[in-house]
Amino acid sequence: MSCNEQQRVRASAARNDGYSRRTFLRVVGALGGAWLTLDLAKVAAAAQAAQRAQEGPGQPGTVFLSQAELADVDAITAQIIPSDSTPGAREAGVALFIDRALATFFGRMAPDFRSQLAAFRLRCQSQHPNASSFAALTNQQQVNFLKLVEGTPFFARLRLLTLVGMFAMPKYGGNRDGIGWKLLGFQDQHIFQPPFGYYDRDYPGFAFEVVERP
Amino acid sequence: MTATYRLSQPVDFAIVGSGAAGGVLARELSLAGFSVVVFEQGPRLTLGSFEHDELKHWFNAGMTNDPVKNPQTFRDDRSKRGERNLIRPSLTYARTVGGSSVHYTANYWRFHEVDFDECSRLGPISGTGFSDWPITYAELEPYYTKVEWDIGVSGLAGASPFDPPRSKPYPMPPLPVKSSGVLLERGARQLGLHPFPAPLAINSQPYRGRPACIHCGFCHGFGCEVGAKASSLTTMIPEAEATGRCEVRSESYVVQVATDKRGRATGVRYFDRDKRERFQKAKAVILSANGAETPRLLLTSANSMFPQGLANSSGLVGKYLMFNFTMRTHAVFEHELNEFKSVQCSRVVHDFYDSDPQRGFYGGGGIDSRIGPQPIIWADRIGEDEGLWGSAYKARLAEFPRSMQAASHGTSLPVETNSVELDPELKDAWGMPAMRVTYKDHPDDLATMRFLQARAAEIMEAAGAVKVTNAAVKPQTSSLHLLGTCRMGNDPAKSVIDRYHRSHDIPNLFLCDGSSLVTSGRGQPTLTIQALAFRAAEHIANFARRGEI
Repeated sequence: MSCNEQQRVRASAARNDGYSRRTFLRVVGALGGAWLTLDLAKVAAAAQAAQRAQEGPGQPGTVFLSQAELADVDAITAQIIPSDSTPGAREAGVALFIDRALATFFGRMAPDFRSQLAAFRLRCQSQHPNASSFAALTNQQQVNFLKLVEGTPFFARLRLLTLVGMFAMPKYGGNRDGIGWKLLGFQDQHIFQPPFGYYDRDYPGFAFEVVERP
Repeated sequence: MTATYRLSQPVDFAIVGSGAAGGVLARELSLAGFSVVVFEQGPRLTLGSFEHDELKHWFNAGMTNDPVKNPQTFRDDRSKRGERNLIRPSLTYARTVGGSSVHYTANYWRFHEVDFDECSRLGPISGTGFSDWPITYAELEPYYTKVEWDIGVSGLAGASPFDPPRSKPYPMPPLPVKSSGVLLERGARQLGLHPFPAPLAINSQPYRGRPACIHCGFCHGFGCEVGAKASSLTTMIPEAEATGRCEVRSESYVVQVATDKRGRATGVRYFDRDKRERFQKAKAVILSANGAETPRLLLTSANSMFPQGLANSSGLVGKYLMFNFTMRTHAVFEHELNEFKSVQCSRVVHDFYDSDPQRGFYGGGGIDSRIGPQPIIWADRIGEDEGLWGSAYKARLAEFPRSMQAASHGTSLPVETNSVELDPELKDAWGMPAMRVTYKDHPDDLATMRFLQARAAEIMEAAGAVKVTNAAVKPQTSSLHLLGTCRMGNDPAKSVIDRYHRSHDIPNLFLCDGSSLVTSGRGQPTLTIQALAFRAAEHIANFARRGEI
């Protein structure tokens, strides 16, 4: 395939706004050997797994946290990225993502997380003896309490897990319906073409004078 | 046609590491007619396995050293006990065929003349090992050119008035400019500075059988899914194997270089993928395992003849660890930049490259335009600037498409106590001593970070940013640039290898990778590491032909 043909294929692909992994596979397939040895079977398998994760039935119960712990974790994540005019961590399914992650690929963080979460809940209880849990506090009480603990290793860890659950590939169970990516305005595509943004649209080209070195 | 060698049959060269340097040495020595076995700790990955998976690659050691299996400890002072980080090790490198050249950003700045002889120009700096190199830029220039043409670098020769002399232009034009590049260029020109197109080891057009960049936006920390980014996996290693004289053994973890009674290297002991111990005989051994693993391997190879570790009569193996640095200046503009598209950098400013005694501290560097990281880490970092959570934080997340980073990169001074050594307690998954890293930025390095960051902020203001935020300057506790730990020099008491990368102590043991560097440069060390590897390969081949190994 000539360079011109490659460019045409890429240009036509880039015009497709809803550019999917499947389209990418078709394009790459059409380009043949010039694109080296893309392992198409593996790419397709990954895409299918992601698709299944998105289309699958309702979330199962928790696997690492108790329901009460899950409710607190969910309330904290919903304070970190709140739901307002746009969806937040709650709609993105971040708390259940954290539950699954700690039982599987983030298992190495699990022991610390469990003891830190217990300490968090104890501290909350001593501050608010009449409330059953952090999740049961009013919004303002939750905000005030989190301001007290935002410097703790537990908050830092849970915040990071919230961001991972919000913005990782949806196949891991968070970032449901791409809510996190939509919030950012991030597009996961394989092919883009210039101009990429507003400022490079009418770029006249790089002007310079060759300076002779002494 | 990949070669296969028997363990008992001594090969001409056992090369430990298949990354930026190891790939070049394997290709050059096998092309020169020698038998070569390359040992790589990690697996051999295919381009099709390179996903845009930030969780896997930045949080789950997708292809990098695993904090559980390959643990490290870190401390900022020798009086402290090393602490283990379970999310990411302090020193990160890709543990796969092709090494860190698979996941790097592919910024390919040449070092300038001053990087080689700055100590003579400025004088020594007390409390540091600041020194000249035993070689000059002029000696390395032909090999810089060889890297640019054999591996494939896009750029515009003559565009930077600060560039050192070059014998040939770049083989490919620069990649298309991004909005961040236009803005860096605009701001810099407003201030009378000299921005230029970023040189990148990424194809702007099809080159040597590899396609042009498709602008997917996942260079930094990811493998290139089409092979447009040059890595040893897609360039040097296949060419080495095609000679029929090079065998690459992946998932083969070398833990000891053995020596005989005469003090010569006899081969390498390694664990294969089933954790069985093997021994490969070799006439000469080359370590290109990176600036962290090369000194560690020399230390784990200690024996009765070399109780301090191999090649360590100077006591400097693992010392003078240098990082470079990257400091963030976050800028938000009125319109969309969409920096998540395409390569990291498209414009660079080198006006502050040289150290200027009038500033009151040593150091210099460059400023480039960047995406910065992918969504998760981007979201994490902007929290550090102005508040970590809540509605205001969420509103800033939505600025992602209108944001860019002007990144400052610069010098690290060589400080003897900054080091890689063996942890006295912690072991890895193979029972070998883990690495203990000690690092504290020299005060001049911190001053250089602040200085460059202030310049970067001025450029962003001049470009019309609606908001500019400098990340807090903090001492570094981690790095991807692993430099200086087996430094090159003429004096065996003050260096580990000679000007040809031969260890001063063991005539058939060579070291060539980031550990060889005497000074840090200003960031972006890979091109220099590969130029050194091409030069080393030429000399090592000549020594072998003349029977001088």
